[in-house]
Amino acid sequence: MILPDYYEFCCRVKIVAGHDALEKIPDLLADMGAKKPLIITDKGVAAAGLITIVSQALQGRVAASLIADNVPPDSDLKVVNQLAQLYQNNACDSIIAVGGGSVMDTAKGVNIVVSENATDLMAFSGAGALKRHLKPLVAVPTTAGTGSEVTLVAVIKDHDKHLKMIFTSYFLLPSVSVLDSRMTMTMPPFITAMTGMDALSHAMEGYYCIQKNPLSDTHSLAAVKMICKYLPIVAKNPSDKDGRLAMSVAACLAGISFSNSMVGMVHNLGHATGAVCGVPHGICMAILLPYGLEYNMHKCEEAIAELLLPMAGEEIYLKTPKDQRAQKVVSLIRQMNEDLNSITGGRHARFFSEVKDRDGKQMVPRDVLPQIAKAALMDGATIYNPEDSDYEDNLMVLEAAWEGKPFDRNKMKKG
Amino acid sequence: MNLAAGFAFTCPFKTNSGNRALEHLPVELSDLNAFKPLIITSLDLVGKKAIRTLTNAFGDSGMTLGVFDDVTNTADLNIVEQIKDIFTKGQYDSIIALGGDVVVDVAKVVNLAVSLKVTDARQLSGETAIRNPLGSFVVVPTAAVTGMETSKYAFLNRKPFISIQLMPNLVILDTRLTRAKDGKIMAEAGLAAFCRALEAYIAPDKNPFMDAYAFAALRFIRENLITAVKNSSDKKAALAVANAAAMSGCAVSNTGRGVLNRLGQVFQDMVHVHPGVIMGMCLTPVLDDYMKKDSRLISVLLYPLTTDDEYAATPEAKRADGAQNALRKFLDELYGALGSKMPRNLKDAGIPPYLMDDIFEVISREPDGDYLCTVIERAGKSPLKA
Amino acid sequence: MQEIHAGGKPLKKAYVAIFLWFTGRAIQAAAKFDKEVKKEFDALPDDFTFALGCLPNGPWMIVGKENGQVKYFGSDLKCRRIHLRLVIKSVDAAFLILSFQESTVMATARNRLMVDGEVPYALAVIRALDIVEVYLLPKIIASLAVKRYPSGWSFGRKLGGRIGVYTRTLLGF
Repeated sequence: MILPDYYEFCCRVKIVAGHDALEKIPDLLADMGAKKPLIITDKGVAAAGLITIVSQALQGRVAASLIADNVPPDSDLKVVNQLAQLYQNNACDSIIAVGGGSVMDTAKGVNIVVSENATDLMAFSGAGALKRHLKPLVAVPTTAGTGSEVTLVAVIKDHDKHLKMIFTSYFLLPSVSVLDSRMTMTMPPFITAMTGMDALSHAMEGYYCIQKNPLSDTHSLAAVKMICKYLPIVAKNPSDKDGRLAMSVAACLAGISFSNSMVGMVHNLGHATGAVCGVPHGICMAILLPYGLEYNMHKCEEAIAELLLPMAGEEIYLKTPKDQRAQKVVSLIRQMNEDLNSITGGRHARFFSEVKDRDGKQMVPRDVLPQIAKAALMDGATIYNPEDSDYEDNLMVLEAAWEGKPFDRNKMKKG
Repeated sequence: MNLAAGFAFTCPFKTNSGNRALEHLPVELSDLNAFKPLIITSLDLVGKKAIRTLTNAFGDSGMTLGVFDDVTNTADLNIVEQIKDIFTKGQYDSIIALGGDVVVDVAKVVNLAVSLKVTDARQLSGETAIRNPLGSFVVVPTAAVTGMETSKYAFLNRKPFISIQLMPNLVILDTRLTRAKDGKIMAEAGLAAFCRALEAYIAPDKNPFMDAYAFAALRFIRENLITAVKNSSDKKAALAVANAAAMSGCAVSNTGRGVLNRLGQVFQDMVHVHPGVIMGMCLTPVLDDYMKKDSRLISVLLYPLTTDDEYAATPEAKRADGAQNALRKFLDELYGALGSKMPRNLKDAGIPPYLMDDIFEVISREPDGDYLCTVIERAGKSPLKA
Repeated sequence: MQEIHAGGKPLKKAYVAIFLWFTGRAIQAAAKFDKEVKKEFDALPDDFTFALGCLPNGPWMIVGKENGQVKYFGSDLKCRRIHLRLVIKSVDAAFLILSFQESTVMATARNRLMVDGEVPYALAVIRALDIVEVYLLPKIIASLAVKRYPSGWSFGRKLGGRIGVYTRTLLGF
């Protein structure tokens, strides 16, 4: 186990998991002195029938009627303010967030506004701006996943001013995260695959980036093992309850890990690709993950090699000579992408040139790569990446990820 | 691990570990909305140097700190009442416990007293209802810990206080405080952490979140305890042991109290023997029993107790034996390094027979008291070599 | 029972203050002739100002833009509107960084350093700081301070730049 000269680790979120974990929400709220929650979600989640399940699980013990399902795909300041007003008008005392990353971020933003009686959310975006516990927030993730049910970050966009506000505080951590297998059962294979690879990228980047620490490491190892085992299973068989629960737990573990050890190039380039081309985050992660490992291989080969045992099991681990283990991890990730590509009938893209939108149009034209490479320079994930990366490095990696060819490490400048 | 049965997990404390960790205290306290901490400690048990290291860490912050350093091994609710008055009169807003064991237990109960604003702390008991989060509370362990410092438990005068709310907001493991000149102190702390983490790791109700803490603790102890015991100037090894102790506190707070945990507590309460000493003695008989019941319960232990390569090379059917062998080897080396300083059985621990009678009486009151007595008998008879 | 008022750490604080003074003026200097440093600052808003310093009570270094030029504005946080603060959590942590026991990169990894403000601004400033450190420090130390020591610099750039930075820093122009 590595022990850095100095590290910090924090995950104060209570985790409740199971096939009927939702039924515990009334007690969880009561423990926090709450009984009138505002349920925040989005139309997709509601249409999948998940809010009905949640309401039924609340069993009339807790008011389940105040439901706001207008959260857009990108968390929006106007919606935050509107929901905060709704909360206050109805004298709510807690929030239940049911959904993916955007719903979680919106709920966290609403929580700031209602807890601090804020008129200007921006005022709370500085470090140390939040000084005390916010209102009870129960996070119920419906993907497996972004891990945002256990992160201390919320990103809220002000579309009018074209600003992206980032809030970071331990007080933003939800009070409880409820992982219930029913919440992810309706995810079709394509979404299952990309959210699962998102979770894997969290677990792996958390393991090799420079803020890694003993606890984030153990969370990562557990997450990698579970994701590699269960993701293909639930992608093929969406109604596998145990598999779904395992993936939710794994995504949560991965969320805890990266929240405490940060992420690197995969997220750096992935955020930029998402911002410039609108490619879903999970797809970016799946495609870029092997490249992030390759790029940083010379600096963290040993750490990457340690991922082989949880990823592939004892037999493959023993068969692989020590000096090839890290490379084997990279090939296995590529293999996972191939397998998921088959399982999803080609919808899970293996490289950027393959990513298509609903109308079959290519989402990442080659001539846009320079723009993505430039945008990546403005993303903070580069700080925690083991190796430095400038515009040329970014472009090199993006070109390789576009073509689907392994990255040529001989071409890179090594620090 | 059976996830389908459902589980819950919580770890309310943040961990800051390493070089000059204490110096972040002003910022950390400010994040907890605390600006005037009361340090609760024991001059006898932690020493002047440790107290000075802590107070100096606030240098340049302009903060005012209170220091109460009169906690002793025989602390009870009277001293809690005394400190509660000091806290209230001095208008402190947070508590820092510097030390381990009884110091932290006292601090936890003081935090309870001041947060509930009780008129008389002597009325507090394990039955006192604790619904809401308590005031800001930081634990700064020194080397002599029991592994319960970060846990939801506090024991004062044999009275247990149990609540997640008793757990600290923050634990700070600073290399200047986690070393000990005497290898025995390291060994006691390390064994206690090890056994607590081990019981959590093989608990039937274990879950992956708890495992993450327990696994880290087990690996840290396996890889570092013997070095820390043999070489008191090895800062990193000592810090690893301290990390393990803090992590084991989280693990035990998320599962029931195992056999070793309870036995260690009884001996600590009644004869003031460090729980690590007793737990170390009882570990082998308890694991033998697990083996007889179902060896698969132990086979999971091989993973943290050995290297990845050795684990992978051991077929599943042989893992339980492998775990026992690894453990035996580890304990032999540890006790070998300590020689006669660390008793290997109850006879060597020198506990007078009349006290042993009292201990047996207390133990037999447990629901599995008969079984626990057999463990003690076996720990009493033989040394630990295979 | 005693009440203690936290004392000071005068020596460490003085060391940090001197280093920050030096670095602030070095950034001012480097921005005048190093293309890359100039490019980073040109991309920032006209009155952009950042502060680098320690909690809880400083010292601080304030650097910003005025009339297209990059200037060192001293150590008073109140002198201008600050867009970005790079905050080191204690004087001790600052001492570890500025005596090169911990690189800037490792310090960030170890939560010693917090970014308070827009991340793209912080990245630009960190890139500029990295370049300035390469000028100020011999390679053996600068390699500890930066993540990847630049390999493409000509000898002339390094030597000329180093002389330029030191001269301007000490003379303040």
